[in-house]
Amino acid sequence: MAESSHYPSYDVWAEHREWDEHTRKIVAKRRSPDVAHRFLTPKEAVTLQTAASLLVDDIRLDVLTYITQHVDETLASPVGEDQRKVGVPEKQTLYRQGLRGLDETSEAEHRALFAALPKEQQLDVLTRIETGQVKPSGAWAQVPAKEFFKKMLHDVVSAYYSHPLIWSEIGYGGPAYPRGYIRVEKGLVDPWEAKQDGK
Amino acid sequence: MENNDRVTHHSDHYEGHRSKQLDRRKYADGADVCIVGAGAAGGVLAYELAKAGLAVVVIEAGPFWNPQTDFASDELSTRRLAWQDTRLVDGAHPLKLGYNNSGRGVGGGTVHFTGVFLRFHESDFMTKSMDGVGEDWPIRYEDLEPYYDKIEREIAVSGPDHFPWGPFNGPYPYPVREPISANAQLFREACEKLGIDSVVAPLAILSAPFDGRPPCINRGFCNQGCMPNAKYSGLIHHIPKAIGLGAEVLSDCMVTQVLTDGDRVTGVLFVHDGQTYEQKARVVILAGFVVETPRLLLHSATPHFPDGLANSSGWVGRAIMPHSSHDVYGILQEEVRLYKGTPVLALTQHFYETDRERGFARGYTLSAHGARPVGMASAIAAERADGTMLWGSALRQAMLDYNFYARVTLVGEVLPHPDNRVTLAEEKDEYGMPRAKVTFSYQENDLKLIDHAVVQMKRIIEAMGGRPAHVVSDTAHLMGGCRMGNDPRTSVVDQFGRSHDIPNLYIVGASTFVTSGGANPTNTVMALAARTADHLIDAMRQRDV
Repeated sequence: MAESSHYPSYDVWAEHREWDEHTRKIVAKRRSPDVAHRFLTPKEAVTLQTAASLLVDDIRLDVLTYITQHVDETLASPVGEDQRKVGVPEKQTLYRQGLRGLDETSEAEHRALFAALPKEQQLDVLTRIETGQVKPSGAWAQVPAKEFFKKMLHDVVSAYYSHPLIWSEIGYGGPAYPRGYIRVEKGLVDPWEAKQDGK
Repeated sequence: MENNDRVTHHSDHYEGHRSKQLDRRKYADGADVCIVGAGAAGGVLAYELAKAGLAVVVIEAGPFWNPQTDFASDELSTRRLAWQDTRLVDGAHPLKLGYNNSGRGVGGGTVHFTGVFLRFHESDFMTKSMDGVGEDWPIRYEDLEPYYDKIEREIAVSGPDHFPWGPFNGPYPYPVREPISANAQLFREACEKLGIDSVVAPLAILSAPFDGRPPCINRGFCNQGCMPNAKYSGLIHHIPKAIGLGAEVLSDCMVTQVLTDGDRVTGVLFVHDGQTYEQKARVVILAGFVVETPRLLLHSATPHFPDGLANSSGWVGRAIMPHSSHDVYGILQEEVRLYKGTPVLALTQHFYETDRERGFARGYTLSAHGARPVGMASAIAAERADGTMLWGSALRQAMLDYNFYARVTLVGEVLPHPDNRVTLAEEKDEYGMPRAKVTFSYQENDLKLIDHAVVQMKRIIEAMGGRPAHVVSDTAHLMGGCRMGNDPRTSVVDQFGRSHDIPNLYIVGASTFVTSGGANPTNTVMALAARTADHLIDAMRQRDV
């Protein structure tokens, strides 16, 4: 597995003038996210952003701010959640209780709020929630820990891999309308795509 | 207002052109036919019935999309092309719904489908008599063959000169797609090494200009809505043509009830902007897919039909089927770049028919399948087949190799089971309708089939020179829930989609499938709709409805 980008000098955003207007607007907004939230309290936002940083293994503030904003928008939106398992509460309750549970487990195991713990202990708390090894009291009496973890992981990862900085890092060519991809066969790349030797 | 856009210029119901006065709509006093749902089935029906001179109204819950301003080359923001209203899911294998298998808006699922355009095989219509599993359809392949021919010609399906499996062996109306993507090339070479036949996929995506539309530019965002209009969708083909022939399309209108008078239906109620309207019609066709059609039938119960409309058999909502759709991601030494080109450009049906030695009945299709960062990362993180989750540095490092992954995807047959079903939940939606509850559990045969397919997918990855790295558990498509049959005690509609209980109520689309087959279903959905249209035109001329 790679430890760093295969394409350190690639910047997908440099191509944005070639993109259609609608796509350009959508991606541009992710580069300068809001810090005001509609659903999350400031404390919840900090807890979420701290967890997100560990889930995607990244500490860059602009990317993490966008992730938190995306989750907040999802929670404030009246749009449905596609599906919800019987026995799992609505997304707003799941997040509100789940974020509370993060702090409760942190305090029970390590005697501090989640955001204040050292990284090792934060990872320990997340692993407990991921595997459901939490005390079934407080928040975890209201919402299933594993379901919360899975939902948060899905939402956070979806936002992270929607950010153009991350597209550049993994060498994703991204939006290609109206010009399309011309050289699609094995071993061929279009002139503007990411190249390993950086040329 | 003048509108020269080739997609919407026939429509009087899109932003800036819609008459806000729904009472001034074209067939306010009653239509010949009211179609609920403007997806794969609804589009074909609207076009065929309007062409025959019938007064047709199509009512669609979602928007009338404009590809240039509503679609985007982006995964996250285009999830709204799906039906996102919350459904409750239950069972041993609760389904992923929404973007995974539904559409909302004119064009329905065809707006974001992959465009893979396969026919079912002869055996798919007679699994019970051939293999002792599932149920036989009331029709045979031969009944549908002329409609497969018609639909494929009408939308200029591209495909190989020779297709080696099933009763139809090509050639396809339009030339095979070329070039194919690296992932598809690697897949075909690996299959060749293993003695597995493969083909370039038959696709509802243009390989050359057709009907004012350009060929594919390999942008790769078929699942986010085609912006160049190279991929077929009801939105850019059947619906505008139907409107040109006199049909009316009411978008952003949610049908909440089918109205009845005694033994017959008289029309529907729908909600637009919080206001409820009635649309009368001589015939009502429900084409709202596998979850919404049963929900509407069950919710429309009356003292005369206490268990819901068309439900004297108790089969409304029963025997729904997804396709099993596991993915195997393999890591290679060379770059593959899964984002480039039409997502599915190669496939094999080598494992399609029953082979007793495998220890299970029926079979599957395997496709070389592209993937984008959001889809791949969220799946290998949170949808792993072994039930674990991948996050932190392990996920980050895996995704740094994004360009070095190949992917193979399963479309596997799932046998019908009456307990896999749509029912009404206690919880209500914004219209006051009970939410759908969708219960699903794989049965033993389904799981054996998946295990077998995953082994084959791993072999293919290895024959590419790769190492299988992530197995993702997923499903695709939905079928059943209002199955067709000859016996009114065990089915909801007859072979033409006419409900056994109510002579002027029809159900068309994937919901009438008896079995799932092991191939992408859209071609069969559209062929069935064209067959129903022919039948209905005759029946209405003979005043038989």
